[in-house]
This record gives sequence, structure tokens and C-alpha cells, in this order.
Amino acid sequence: MPGQLYKAAAIVGAAEADEIGFLKQPKSSLQLHIEAIKNVSEYTGIPIAKIDGIFSTGWSSELCEHLGIQPRYIDTTACGGCSFEMHVHHALAAIHAGIIEVALISHGENGHSQRAIGAKGRPSYGPGSGDASPALEMTSAYGMGGAPTAYAHAMTRHMHRYGTTTQDFAHIAKVTRDWATLNPRAAMYSKDKHPFGGPITLQQVAQSRLITWPLTILHCCMVTDHGGAVIVASPKVAAGLKTKPVWIAGAGESMGHQNMLEMDDFTATSARRSAEAAYTMAGMGPDDMEMAMIYDSFTITAAITAEMLGLAPLGEGHTLWQEGHAAPGGRFPVNTNGGGLSFNHSGMYGMPLLIEAYRQLSGTAEDGIHGDPGKQTSAKTCVVNGTGGTLSTTGTLVLMADG
Amino acid sequence: MAYDKPIPAKGTNTGPFWEGAKAGKLMLPHCKECNRVHWYPRFICPFCHSMDLDWVEGSGEGTLYTFAVQHLTPPAWQQEAPYVTAYIDLKEGDRMLTILRGVDPAKPEDIKIGAKVKVEFEPANDDMHLPFWRVVEG
Repeated sequence: MPGQLYKAAAIVGAAEADEIGFLKQPKSSLQLHIEAIKNVSEYTGIPIAKIDGIFSTGWSSELCEHLGIQPRYIDTTACGGCSFEMHVHHALAAIHAGIIEVALISHGENGHSQRAIGAKGRPSYGPGSGDASPALEMTSAYGMGGAPTAYAHAMTRHMHRYGTTTQDFAHIAKVTRDWATLNPRAAMYSKDKHPFGGPITLQQVAQSRLITWPLTILHCCMVTDHGGAVIVASPKVAAGLKTKPVWIAGAGESMGHQNMLEMDDFTATSARRSAEAAYTMAGMGPDDMEMAMIYDSFTITAAITAEMLGLAPLGEGHTLWQEGHAAPGGRFPVNTNGGGLSFNHSGMYGMPLLIEAYRQLSGTAEDGIHGDPGKQTSAKTCVVNGTGGTLSTTGTLVLMADG
Repeated sequence: MAYDKPIPAKGTNTGPFWEGAKAGKLMLPHCKECNRVHWYPRFICPFCHSMDLDWVEGSGEGTLYTFAVQHLTPPAWQQEAPYVTAYIDLKEGDRMLTILRGVDPAKPEDIKIGAKVKVEFEPANDDMHLPFWRVVEG
């Protein structure tokens, strides 16, 4: 008796790059990918624009940006040579689940040409030093570095478009810090824990060290150490455990670009699309959410994402914090752990979002080890959104407590 | 003063851009199928997915889309700080990144989004002339 996924999907075409082997004229890995993709599209008659799932070994964001497509399923599993068979497995599950209809699995690797022109990921400066992406080639001369150097441009554009001010966004830093003072695990919990810890004022946010105008350091997340893990299991397994389940009611993902150069509107992210997918799957909307965990790499990230998730009108994301709704005791708690701004942010903050959402909805958010009033809320639903890259890729979840 | 910042590695599909830059021309990738210009240079048109691409000379004119002032910078640019980075909307469509010239990094509030900008080229070495944009009119 075959399983549920038996013949749930088929491989409908295959093709290679225009030239393969020992190329006389070296080609980049990216070019080999793109040629193969163009060829399989022509062979099958499926337009590239119809691809709604992408699978590659670490290349997926770059490939989508290069192709100008925004798939709803983005898998970039890289486990070595077997990755492509795994990609077929993952694509099978995604197609069977009805999330996508057309999965592109792509490979490009200039194992020979890289002796002449380098491989992706090598340093991108100087002649012959690396086969950088053309996006990197055309942006690397302009003094951009870490995340703040890029994200600051989004705040400037938001202020221009909506008339917002740095002070509007400073409320996000202040309120998020208030949450951190209720969480003994937060890096900025108190002055005892960290010299810069404890409550902060709007004035302190404005007067802290300027990193990239208009971002002062208190508009930016920290860079810390973090490790975390969650387990997702079937209802059958969940029923037999001592822990409380938090149900995944909806999930969605999307992307706009990889390099900020390719972002159409600097005040809007693909969270709008990933949230729409998650809400649709859940049969719920923003009004059904009772709290949110939002990636706050910068105050501007949290504000824009709140707008994209439908939690506030466009241009008014910051009002959730400014008016106290997102604060401890407010009607709509946001980032109850103290956020990437004041709890912990190691570089990729998506895991702490998940952990806090689980703790809140399972009623285990109270650390209570210092006799603090605590951060446990009564929320039974939570929208969780992670942002990757430079406002590039997004994943949204709608989570629900039992009962 | 000689250019002392890191110089980008030249890719495999961008030769005409750098050749044009040496001659003071802003060459832009263009799709012969849908007739649109795109930036950055692709192996395939990101709008219609044709691979029939060529290069056209751009006007070198654009407008300021958004900007930031870099204070904490990568080490190689430390001597320059603070400086203004900006995204430029090209007259021909699509967008470029630059270090913006003709503005005062100490007065960000005086920099006008939408300002007219023009391209200029700075020789980084004999082979690579880098485009920069300058505000020409608020």
C-alpha cells in the first residue's frame, strides 16, 4: 500500500547549461544556473514567471533576484552532493500540501572555471579575486558594510513618504526595553546585568551614538551569543507529551530581493505576501491576533513589518508602541522578550522569536527568578514574522494556544 | 590623490559597463525583447526572461530616492566618514547605489529626496573608473 505522497508530483523536464565540462571561456556559477534555468523553462514550456517554489544549495535568494521572481516557497538546503535529491523530496511535500505547483531545482557550480575566476563567496575586491554576483560588483565600491549601513536608507525613505520622525521610531526602542526589564534572560535586563541595561528614555535613544544617520545605536539590535531549538511534531506525538502544544495555524514565506539595490519600495517588504499566505492558511486575519513577535533588527524594521502584517495602517506602524498598545500591560503586546533590540540578537534572530512565541502561548513565559512582575501575557494567538537579509526575505507564522 | 579604497572585482558579464566608464559613458544593460533597461547587469532579463541583451548608453541623469549618512563604516572607508550613501533612480528606470557628492554629511536635513543628480566617473586605477553621483539641483 503506497504512502500519501506516492506519485504526488513528477519531474517534468530536465536541462543543462549551454556549455558544460572544461570551459575555455570561464563562466560564473551564477551564469551556469541561469543558462540551465532558461533551458529547462524552454524545454518544458513553463515560463520562468510561473515558478512558485525555488530549491538550490544556498543560491535561492540570489537566483530569484536575478530572475526577478518572488516565489512562495524558498528552500536553499545545502547538505553537499545529495542536496538535490533532498530538494525533490521537499518539493514533493510542498506540492502535495498545495503550497506550490511548479518547483525549480537548480544547480550551477564552476568547479573548473573557478580556477581562473574564483568561486562565489570569495572576496569580491581586486582583479581575479572572486566571481562575485554582479549585484555585489556594482555596489561594493560605495562604503556599505553591516546591516545598519543599509537599513538606515529605509528609515529615511519612510520619513520622507509618511512624515514620520526618528522620535516616532524611538518609542519602539523604549517600549521594547521596558519588556526587557521584565525578562532576567534579556541582555539589557538591568544596570547590574549590563552597564547600558535597564529602562531608557526617548532622549537617550536620540542622543546615543550615531551609527548611520538616522539610526543611533539604540535604534539598532545588539550582536550577542544565542543558541536555541524547537521541535515540531505531529498531533499524535504532541498528545503524548508532558509539554503543551502550540499549534501552527498558518505559515507563509516570500521574498522581494537579496541586495537592497533591488528593493522596489523601501517602505514595504515581502512580509505583506508571507503574512497574507499565513493568514489565509489560518482562516484568520490581523484582527484575530492577540500579540506579535516581530524581528526588530532596527526600530524601522519593526515599524514597517507591523504595517505589512496589517497590525497598523501604512505609515503608522510605530503608533503601536507610541500609544502604548505594544507595551507591558497594553492591549497588543509585541516582542515580549525584549526583542533583538534589548533581549538578544546573535545575527539571525528568527529562533528567539519562535522560542518566545512558544513560551507565551504555552503559558511558560514567566521566568520569575528575580521576583519580577513578569512578562506572561494572556494571548492565545500570535503572529510571528522573521525578516532576512536587508529587508529581503520574510517568513510569517500564525500560532495558537490549545483550546 | 590616488584612489585608496577597495576596487570591485570585474565580473564575467560586465565588461561593456567598465569599458564605457573609462570613456565617461554610463552604459546600461538593456533587453532587446522588451526594450527595458535593468540594473544590475544580468544574464537574463529580469522582466521578460529573454536572454537577448545588449548595452545602451544612459543619460547619466537621475533623482535621489533615499540616503543615509555613514558614521560607523567598513575599515577601508573610515577616513572618509561621515559620508552620504544614496540610492539613485535612473532616468531610464531602475536604481543604482552610490556615495553621493555635492552634499554636506553634517546636514542630512538639507538633503532633498527627489533632487536631480548626475553621474561622474573617478579613475580607481587604469582599468576601473567608478561611477559616482552628484546632486546638481535641489
